[in-house]
Amino acid sequence: MNRLGLTDWNGPVMRRRLARRYAAERRFRLLGLGAVLLSAAFLAFLLVSMIGQGATGFLRTEVRVTLDFKAAPLLIDRAALAGRGADLALANAGIPAHLNAAATTAYGGEGAGYLSENSWLDVRDAVRDDPALLDGKASFWVAAATAIDLAAKGHGTAEAKAAYAKLKQAGAVRKTFNAGFLTRSNSNDPTRAGIWGAFKGSLLTMIVTLLLAFPIGVLSAVYLEEYAPRNRMTDLIEVSINNLAAVPSIIFGLLGLAVFLNTWQLPRSAALVGGLTLALMTMPVIVIAARNAIKSVPPSIRDAALGVGASPVQVVFHHVLPLALPGILTGTIIGMARALGETAPLLMIGMRAFIATPPDGFTDPATVLPVQIFLWSDEVSRGFVEKTSAAIVVLLAFLLAMNGLAIYLRNRFERRW
Amino acid sequence: MSVAAIAFLVIGLGLIGWLSARTRAARFAAAADTAAGAAGRPHSLPFYHGWYVALWATVPALLFLAVWGWTSPALVTGAVLDTPAAALPESGIERGALLAEARALAQGKLAGAFNDEAAALAPAYRAAQARFDGIATVLALILAFAGGAYAFTRVRPDFRARTRVERAVMATLLVASLIAILTTVGIVASLLFESWRFFSMVSPVDFLFGLRWSPQSAVIAGQTNQFGAIPLFWGTIFIGAIIAMVVAIPLGLMSAVYLTQYAGPRLRAWMKPALEMLAGVPTVVYGYFAALTVAPALRDFAAAVGIPGASSESALAAGVVMGIMIIPFVSSMADDSITAVPAAMRDGSLAMGATQSETIRKVLIPAALPGVVGGVLLAVSRAIGETMIVVMAAGLAANLTANPFASVTTVTTQIVQLLTGDQEFDSAKTLAAFALGLVLFVITLLLNIVALRVVKKYREAYE
Repeated sequence: MNRLGLTDWNGPVMRRRLARRYAAERRFRLLGLGAVLLSAAFLAFLLVSMIGQGATGFLRTEVRVTLDFKAAPLLIDRAALAGRGADLALANAGIPAHLNAAATTAYGGEGAGYLSENSWLDVRDAVRDDPALLDGKASFWVAAATAIDLAAKGHGTAEAKAAYAKLKQAGAVRKTFNAGFLTRSNSNDPTRAGIWGAFKGSLLTMIVTLLLAFPIGVLSAVYLEEYAPRNRMTDLIEVSINNLAAVPSIIFGLLGLAVFLNTWQLPRSAALVGGLTLALMTMPVIVIAARNAIKSVPPSIRDAALGVGASPVQVVFHHVLPLALPGILTGTIIGMARALGETAPLLMIGMRAFIATPPDGFTDPATVLPVQIFLWSDEVSRGFVEKTSAAIVVLLAFLLAMNGLAIYLRNRFERRW
Repeated sequence: MSVAAIAFLVIGLGLIGWLSARTRAARFAAAADTAAGAAGRPHSLPFYHGWYVALWATVPALLFLAVWGWTSPALVTGAVLDTPAAALPESGIERGALLAEARALAQGKLAGAFNDEAAALAPAYRAAQARFDGIATVLALILAFAGGAYAFTRVRPDFRARTRVERAVMATLLVASLIAILTTVGIVASLLFESWRFFSMVSPVDFLFGLRWSPQSAVIAGQTNQFGAIPLFWGTIFIGAIIAMVVAIPLGLMSAVYLTQYAGPRLRAWMKPALEMLAGVPTVVYGYFAALTVAPALRDFAAAVGIPGASSESALAAGVVMGIMIIPFVSSMADDSITAVPAAMRDGSLAMGATQSETIRKVLIPAALPGVVGGVLLAVSRAIGETMIVVMAAGLAANLTANPFASVTTVTTQIVQLLTGDQEFDSAKTLAAFALGLVLFVITLLLNIVALRVVKKYREAYE
């Protein structure tokens, strides 16, 4: 302070105070940046760790085994190979014993242990496709045992790694794209497990969900936004929809269990019931998105249509809805993406069963991708870890594609009035 | 013919009705155009006449088929039981199994019979099925033809078909929006009904205030005092409302502050969707991440520092990952309420010489607080209803502990646990899941109502 009692803004006290305030400002700003970056880092870490673990799930390790059918013929009737009984005939032909013998000859005492228990299925498929192989000596690439597979991917015991190195030196092992992962269904054996069954189940479930939730959601939104009189009934509908949007998903599972399964006696584990349950959950999301989209269509459009003589129904279905459609579709896709990733309600209605054959219809027992991920994450076998992550990568890819489509639609077609 | 096939037939008839009525209406519309000019034009476009006839032809018949599909299996079974071949055992389960087998045989879903009784019943089943299907076909076709013919006779130039069709459209809209109410009623009714059955076995006081939760032993010993849910409530609050919020509130709030107040438009354009992606990741993925990556790391950390009772299913792992999932909910609500604070308040503070962070801390956040609190309440309601993360990462042991490295269990975990075994539906164990569901439903509902009220009040204050 100087003589007049006024604050000396350039004095050392004030300068220090200002410096302290600016330092606080910088700290606060860094704190904010840190929060943003930390959140983004969590996301990046999650994605990277899933992709890193899952990438090898798309690969499988194969061991070469040479079978000499001339020296040791399969006990099989050639005629049986032509028809539908081929699989059964080959299953009884003693291929596993042949394989084990050949592996032991080729790779020593533990040779048979290098092959997966179900590796004979690879031989079976090859022979079924080309019975001429039975006439002579043929070499097959068959699935390696889980321990060898893990060693090939850099995990597993030292023993297995040594065995893998030995095989590799002999040129008897290779890594290929695991097409079976995308085309097969669930299995107890990680080398035979695939996601096709679960994927098909997801597809069927989503079809049911979309067919129910989209029309019901859009029609309710139209009613509430355009026609509903202001009365108690309308209030009740609005409150119900807003509450349903916030109800935990597992409660919808309880509803599905109590109503669809126990009261209506619909089949357990079916895509139909899963779709119904998810439709009830998705409908409020669609209603809310559709109401916002309809609300954003300016009233002048309605007035103009009414002015040239359109009826109220014509105004909405010929003018308002087409203009609101991009917004409605965006909301629908986002709602469907959420339904696709949903697990908990489906556990309640029994979609966690072991499904080894893909479902053929809406009432067949089915499972869905997220539930398959959940089931695999519980498996004890180490080989399922990478399968789980690989299935997660597939699921995330679909969700990303759906959300990308929604963003594209919004940017491309949504009009600002 | 099966119900589905008849439905297709009816829809085909509706299509024919649509086409013929439209053609007829188009003909008299054209005639009116040439004869009398605009004055004599029919009231409705031909297209509406078509829809009018199609609706009359299909809707009554399809409604009949829906009711029929519901009731006919019971009627068929009743008819089969009246036949002399039905010498069935009295016990319910065996009887049901035999009937189901006979039905599968009659429908050709089963190649051969396991039981001779079922094989004997199959012809009777087939006959009854054929008879009832015949009745259904005839009735549905009569309804479709009668409806279509009645409507077709009304297709005249002065008939107001559009008004009628629009009335049907409005009815459809109303029915569609009533489904939301039906769903709510269905949820409340099923939860209340099953919970009432549960509470007739276990006293509500024991359930709500009991400290011991072990439904497994309750089933074995036949006791009913093992359903004390306090440990579950504590576990749910500990994971969802404490640990998750300790992670989510600071990160979410600071992210919102930075993105609204400091970040340039480019950073904001990239980071906002990135944060929203956190909410789009399926919860089963978070659960797997928590169980496989976070939980072992935390357990090793706890063991290294020497914390007793460290579990590989710790509350901390589930809570932290849940907090990460919740970040975008907190940040988007905070973002909205910070942006809604009038610019004049912010400008006034800056003009007085306050730094930006002082403005944010002393003006913006206090002004936006109701919105932020509402967002946090919504996030809590979301966190306590979350299932997969806790099912996969939290434990099953019902402990009353405040040690974040120990294992606790939650309401949703126990619901899944109770309902995924092979239990008969009437046991107290399965019904307990519905009682837990009811508590969860009521609490999330209350949280949402309070949160929305807080947010709404605050919006009104600035509008």
